[in-house]
Amino acid sequence: MSTATAVVVRPKRRAAVPAGLVILFLLPLILMPLAAVFAFAFRGGPRAFWVALSSAEAQFALRFSLVIALVTAVINSVLGTFTAYVLSRYRFRGQRVLGIVVNLPVAIPTVVVGTSLLLLWGPIGLLGRFLGPVGLQPMFAPAGVLLAHLFVTFPYMLGAVKPVLDELEETYEEAAYTIGASTWQTFRFVILPTLKGGLFAGALLTFAHSLGEFGATVMVSGNLRLKTQTAPLYIFAQFEAGNIETANAVAAVLAILSFCIFFVLLRYTARPTDQH
Amino acid sequence: MIVLENVTKRYADQVPVDRVSLEVEKGELFVLLGASGSGKSTILRMIAGLVFPDEGRISIHGRDVTLLPPQARDIGLVFQNYSIFRHMTVAQNIEFGLRIRGVKAAERAKRRDELLDLVGLSGLGGRFDSQISGGQRQRVALARALAYNPGVLLLDEPFGALDVKIRVQLRQSLKEIQKRLGLTTVLVTHDQEEAFELGTRIAVIERGRLLEVGPPKRLYESPRSLFVATFLGAGAVLVGRSRGHNVELGPLTLPVPMDVPHEEGDRVRVLIRPEHILLSAEPKANVPTLGQGEVIEDTFTGSSRRIRVRMPPLAGVRQVVPAPPFGEDAVMLDVAVPAHADPPPRKPWVALEEWHILRQPTPRLLVCDEGEGLASALEFSAQLLPALNGVATVLGVAADARQQDSLRESLAARAAEAGLKESSVRVRRGETAEQILLEQRDAPYDFVLTGAGEMASLRRARRRAPQLAEELALTTTIPLLAVRGRPRRLERILICTAIGEPGKSDVRAGGWLARRMNAAATLLHVARPGRSTPFAAEHLERGVSTLRELGVAGSWAIQENEDPVDGILAFLRENAHDLVVVGAPPAGRQLPRGEPITLRALRECGTSILVVPEGSW
Repeated sequence: MSTATAVVVRPKRRAAVPAGLVILFLLPLILMPLAAVFAFAFRGGPRAFWVALSSAEAQFALRFSLVIALVTAVINSVLGTFTAYVLSRYRFRGQRVLGIVVNLPVAIPTVVVGTSLLLLWGPIGLLGRFLGPVGLQPMFAPAGVLLAHLFVTFPYMLGAVKPVLDELEETYEEAAYTIGASTWQTFRFVILPTLKGGLFAGALLTFAHSLGEFGATVMVSGNLRLKTQTAPLYIFAQFEAGNIETANAVAAVLAILSFCIFFVLLRYTARPTDQH
Repeated sequence: MIVLENVTKRYADQVPVDRVSLEVEKGELFVLLGASGSGKSTILRMIAGLVFPDEGRISIHGRDVTLLPPQARDIGLVFQNYSIFRHMTVAQNIEFGLRIRGVKAAERAKRRDELLDLVGLSGLGGRFDSQISGGQRQRVALARALAYNPGVLLLDEPFGALDVKIRVQLRQSLKEIQKRLGLTTVLVTHDQEEAFELGTRIAVIERGRLLEVGPPKRLYESPRSLFVATFLGAGAVLVGRSRGHNVELGPLTLPVPMDVPHEEGDRVRVLIRPEHILLSAEPKANVPTLGQGEVIEDTFTGSSRRIRVRMPPLAGVRQVVPAPPFGEDAVMLDVAVPAHADPPPRKPWVALEEWHILRQPTPRLLVCDEGEGLASALEFSAQLLPALNGVATVLGVAADARQQDSLRESLAARAAEAGLKESSVRVRRGETAEQILLEQRDAPYDFVLTGAGEMASLRRARRRAPQLAEELALTTTIPLLAVRGRPRRLERILICTAIGEPGKSDVRAGGWLARRMNAAATLLHVARPGRSTPFAAEHLERGVSTLRELGVAGSWAIQENEDPVDGILAFLRENAHDLVVVGAPPAGRQLPRGEPITLRALRECGTSILVVPEGSW
């Protein structure tokens, strides 16, 4: 018996032309600007880079940004998860509206967010005017920066956690209830562990966005050196003052940080779902 | 022991569980069997505390748990999708209930190993949900539910998602485990075979109601209702007529047992299981023989063969199951014989080894009420029900969700006031006539009743939107009783019949009602002056003999008039009747031009009217 092997010849599609085209337009759009940051940052050599970074103002701006990003990520993890749980598990009047409202921050220009915070909490704001006499003044202070960041990054946690919750069948919780677990025990031991992935991704996203936040921050912070100046604000201020190298050094640090977060996220999400 | 008393669950426009009462004995494996959407899972979830009943009481081992949360009920529940906690190992899953209860690690480990052994998963404790098969997941779910020694085990379609071979294995091991532990167990399934194999007793649920409860063998051999007869196993149901203490089924006269009383002339439904039919080349003596048939199909099914036999039409016998194709009056019987048996003769004689007579079905009335105004439909059904020995469902249609609850309350109050005891109330939402038709489709009703207003107010309202009764008259699929004014006692019924139409549903439905209400019936035909034919008289005579067969005193008359409705009215003026029966074209058929006779009769006769759609009875 003879076996005839059928050879299937697939016409090869030439990728060189379209791929080249993509790279061609990405070059001026994305790749070259990124390269420029690093080129400028290191133009004076590593020493100059180091000097630029070790100024007190640069140090403060970077640290302040990291702290704010961390606190924002922690607070929004809790609030976002809780909101996602409520939206996904309960049916109530106005639920759809609430679902839209909590996602609004992605659609509102950040400068507008800053303005609205000022109009609410500022010295002559709706609530702020009552706070002044008591000695509280959230605007132009770290608290204001935090408020702005919480606002702007709120949807990221929600977006990472809610789909996981939505996909979790209802019987999952019911199984825990019938076994005897209270609502809290069910959340703590059954729901929360399955959210681990979403929580991690959401927290990183929130952190990354907070780190780069500019529009709202510039409005509410007053851009006060060594008090409320975040790294992006510092970069902008240095640029305006003509200290391009200094600006670029901090910009390079921010870029590297963002790359790191991005690659962790990429690796994490690329992993097949939750293999133990 | 689990006890449910009159448990009812309602959602916006459905009643998934309707006054279910049952008792599950200690240590028994009780099966809730029903088609999907029958409400069986909701019953289980109410026992588990995941859904709370709107009415009724649930107790487990003597403790009232009606309003307790699931955590406080001491139950183990296995879900159809298992819901194994994915971030925990098999061992951690099983230990979860013990951990929650604060059991020490060493003791937990011991119990966990016992359970892994019990369900046959020893050595797999370290695996995760994604690393085990469907059948193994099911075993983990079972072990997890048993870990803390619950008082009751509940299983919701536990084998639904598994393939046949594993299902059979698992059934066996579930049965063994349940027996060994002596655990009171409730299992929900739609699989009749599973119910038979596992159940100590089976409860058949349909449309939220508990139809019958009993051991598998009892339910299979002597079901009471048609639904249970056909849901549990194959077979044919033939309808004969009751004569004396017997039923006449073609050439056969079979005794009707005392516990399934039938009145003279009633339709009697006889269930014949495939394994109870004998086929032979020659007629056999001493066995009730239906006659000679013809083999039209012979199918090999493994351990047995299914032979389909076509019998010539049997006089006075109608087949209801399997439903005969339209226009077919031959009787089709499926016969089961062992696979190794000799092939049957081509034209075998068909005899019955055994048969079972079903209970007289309970007539069901659908009573539509608006919750205000005249309660004529309610009052009329209160008058009908004792004589029909039937049950009524009072239906109201609310325009929106807000009105639903108040409508339900006022319907219940009005039903009670009208003297309707034991009726159930349903409220649907939407457009009235449409919802009534949907309700007709959803449940087997025999009659739909609605008020048709007083003549006087009708005349005033002539130019108004069409009355509900008028709208229904042309669309209903079951006989519509439009009740006019205060109901009168039914003594004389006028059945208006056209000549030569194919269906005689109007005579049968009117006659059925007349017999039960002990009323006399008159058959009326309206002919154009001078056009009356001997054929018409002959036709009416046949109608009267049909009535006589039903046990109704009947007479006939021919009224001469140019217009059929004017003829009916003229006849009514001289001969008072309490109810007029008219036919209606089957719903959906293109109506002839001009105003349909049915509608005009409905508007112009001063009495209540029974509209019988062609072919509905």
